[in-house]
Amino acid sequence: MNAEAALEGIARDRNFRMPRSAVIVLLLLLTSATASFGQKVSEPANSTVTLSVRATHLLGFEGAGNNSTGTLSIQDGVVRFQKGSERVVQVPIASVEDVFLGDESKQVGGLPMTVGKAAVPFGGGRVVSLFAHKKYDTITLQYVANDGGIHGAIFELSMGQGKRFRDQLAAMGANVSRNNEVKQSNVEIPNESK
Amino acid sequence: MKANRQVATLLLAAAIMTTAFAHSPRVFAEPAATQLSTAGKNSKWSVQVKMVDPGDANISASFQIAIYESLLGELNKTKRFKQVFRDGERTSNDVPDLLILRTTVEKYTAGSETQRAVTTVSGATKLTVRSQLCTHDGQIVFERTVRGEVLFMGGNLRATHNLARNVAKTIKQSTLPAPSSSALAQNGQL
Repeated sequence: MNAEAALEGIARDRNFRMPRSAVIVLLLLLTSATASFGQKVSEPANSTVTLSVRATHLLGFEGAGNNSTGTLSIQDGVVRFQKGSERVVQVPIASVEDVFLGDESKQVGGLPMTVGKAAVPFGGGRVVSLFAHKKYDTITLQYVANDGGIHGAIFELSMGQGKRFRDQLAAMGANVSRNNEVKQSNVEIPNESK
Repeated sequence: MKANRQVATLLLAAAIMTTAFAHSPRVFAEPAATQLSTAGKNSKWSVQVKMVDPGDANISASFQIAIYESLLGELNKTKRFKQVFRDGERTSNDVPDLLILRTTVEKYTAGSETQRAVTTVSGATKLTVRSQLCTHDGQIVFERTVRGEVLFMGGNLRATHNLARNVAKTIKQSTLPAPSSSALAQNGQL
């Protein structure tokens, strides 16, 4: 009983000490949350999102970081990419010269998985590699900037999303080469030029 | 105590002398190096990177674009050129000392990351390109065959990055002729 009473006393003491600092922390949290909500609301209210998909920007989209994951969308005649609450990077659909679709497969898990696989005895990691891969679509945009310079951007999308995105771009007036689906097969191409 | 102090003084003097001798050649070499870099700065070419020509290789558009974009990035990093222009960039028309970088894919072996992870010895992605730097009037000033590959770890597109890095490295190490404007200036000085 004595011990319980002592514990209650300690708990009460802590409860009494907490509020002041807790209130400060809560206030700080609320302020930052309000600020971040404010940033998100800054999008124009009358914008119409035609298609929005989760994508990883591999390279080339000027202003966006390489290998950054964000939202790729078609909106108000532009192709937009936004990583989290970072600055939006966009290109008018009219400037898109061509859209290419492809598919790839990659190992999942990154470096930790690779290290883990290497640590598996008797070459067991290789067996894991057989199953630890994921297929995805790549969409390549070739577009012209205001200065006439040709740019290329590559995005990685979930399987099946690439075709949807390409078709939507085509419907919105972008030039799309229909015969551009070159599959990245894992066999050597026999007719290489020397 | 006195002996110790003398030894310490001698050691200090020796250290100062050694440091002075070690640094002196660098000090003397500095003006020459500065002159060289100034001359290099004045005689810098600009370069325009053309879109990659797939040649006869069955290479996907994403690879072509990846090579093109990586080349732009890597050439900028070398600081060998005054400016690096994209294909079609209008501002490049007024640049006097402009080289044009043409890249033609000669050989392409499509690989597989999964195959590499499972077998280690197969599934490599290999790229071989011919890189040419030409002047406005079509004179080739640099021509090399460069390879880029992913043998063990990493995605297939990494081959394009490795290739671009190798191209930039080769260009950086090569000797290019002096641009026409700096050659004219030198003649004028002579």
